[in-house]
Amino acid sequence: MATVESLLAQIQGLSSSAGDLGLLLTHLKQADELLHNESTPLLPFLEQLDPTLHSLGYLYILVSLAVIAVCKRFKDHVLMLEAPMRGVAPLLEAVKKIRSSSEHLSTLHPDFLQLCLLAKCYKTGLSILEDNIFEVDQPRDFFLYCYYGGMICIGQKRFKKALELLHNVVTAPMSSINAIAVEAFKKYILVSLIHSGQFSTNLPKYTSSAAQRNLKTLCPPYVELANTCSSGKISELETYIQTNREKFDSDNNLGLVKQVVSSMYKKNIQRLTQTYLTLSLQDIANTVQLSSPKEAEMHVLQMIQDGEIYATINQKDGMVRFLEDPEQYKTCEMIECIDSSIQRIMTLSKKLTAMDEHISCDPLYLAKAGRERQRFDFDDFDPVPQKFNI
Amino acid sequence: MDFSPLTDALASKSYGKIADICDELMLKAAAELEGTPFEEEWPFAIHLLAHFYVNDINGARFLWKSIPSAVKERQPEVVAAWKIGQRLWTRDYAAVHEAIRSFDWTPQTQPLVAAFSEVYTKRIFQLLLSAYSTIGIQDTALFLGMNEDDATSYVLQQGWVADPASRMLTVKKQPVATEQKLDPSKLQRLTEYVFHLEH
Repeated sequence: MATVESLLAQIQGLSSSAGDLGLLLTHLKQADELLHNESTPLLPFLEQLDPTLHSLGYLYILVSLAVIAVCKRFKDHVLMLEAPMRGVAPLLEAVKKIRSSSEHLSTLHPDFLQLCLLAKCYKTGLSILEDNIFEVDQPRDFFLYCYYGGMICIGQKRFKKALELLHNVVTAPMSSINAIAVEAFKKYILVSLIHSGQFSTNLPKYTSSAAQRNLKTLCPPYVELANTCSSGKISELETYIQTNREKFDSDNNLGLVKQVVSSMYKKNIQRLTQTYLTLSLQDIANTVQLSSPKEAEMHVLQMIQDGEIYATINQKDGMVRFLEDPEQYKTCEMIECIDSSIQRIMTLSKKLTAMDEHISCDPLYLAKAGRERQRFDFDDFDPVPQKFNI
Repeated sequence: MDFSPLTDALASKSYGKIADICDELMLKAAAELEGTPFEEEWPFAIHLLAHFYVNDINGARFLWKSIPSAVKERQPEVVAAWKIGQRLWTRDYAAVHEAIRSFDWTPQTQPLVAAFSEVYTKRIFQLLLSAYSTIGIQDTALFLGMNEDDATSYVLQQGWVADPASRMLTVKKQPVATEQKLDPSKLQRLTEYVFHLEH
């Protein structure tokens, strides 16, 4: 952890050549938390620098001092006034100004999203979530950004995007478990159940061991809920929710839990479309535990309206005919969609290559990798099982 | 506060743009430090209805949640507008028409309400068209917010067939016209991708 004094020495020592300045910039970026911490006395520190000689360091501190502090203070103020909406537009402006590019996550991103949530300006919050983030200054900013972002997407019923953001929190590198990750994990389970009807309790391999060890034991009612869902029985699910209602309510997750139930009905109806070509409304009502054929009809109608199934209802005979997805992948729109996906993947692939090259040249990484290489045998690096070798 | 983008859009009947215009203006108005709080004179009813017009019920829901309770108590039109929103949210299709009819809208809101009512009826007709092969006359009338005679003649014009004995309508599917003509540059681009991948 850098101190003000060490940073001062770096600014004074690394302000002459272009190469030094590059290095200084890295140091300054790493010292972000220090600079953005309001309790750090930066003002006297500034007096020891000469703006003509140490312009980069000087500017960095000046900007950090002014913009970030003002914005944070401003946010606290509108929250105190209980008028979060007053801060939404100014903070959005500030985020756009202080980030170095749309790929950079600034320390103000989470503050902006928090205001959007409190002011119920979900759509405005969404505008910033569409940017792909590749550069993060502080882990905490990233955790909060993904958590608040996940909540905004949940509100907007963009469950796929919400899942992605919450997944980022749960699987992010962490040396010890934190409260943001725990809350994110609860919502992650619920959103996963709503979106795909199931939740795999196995976290991916790249999840930190702190998360692997602790998350599941910290959220027992949620893990149990996911297990109950896997049976597909609505009545069991509802009983379980009723007995654990208070726990979900105190987490402010009861609304999401209720959405799990309604999505369960949908998943059960969707499952029928895979088995049957036609089915009577009465049979649908019986199978998915709805009280009447009319209620089954309304469920099917809503799902058709939302594009969740393809079917036609025959009121005369009280039957539903399930159809194939009419998409034939030959319209202009579809071509446009495929094209933009390819473009996106290509950009991402280039980004990965660049990042890989960057890391391969990083002295810190090379020193560490060089030291560790001796500890492993050649076999450890071979991911292909022997029997598949030709 | 400059309301001209909103008044212009209302005057030119560009109802589809109003929700976005209002969202943006509201955030600007909220950030203004001086003068009376913007909520005092904000056209919440129009703002809500504009969301319904573009079928953004979720957006309307959050807008409603952000409206101060004092405004809700003082302005019955805002509450009446949200009554429509509630029915849209719960998909109580027939009740939407009732909610539209059960309030005496002010002259400023009336044209937007009428435009929404029209677009909503069309939307529901399209839904019936895609979801049903046969449907009762009574249900059709409820869905479309008309009496049975009006509803029957409305759908007969679209080629549906009525069976007076069973009081059922047979839906006439309309062929969906999709743009399938390929722009040669698109094809060229896809060819290049494939070429790139194979070499």
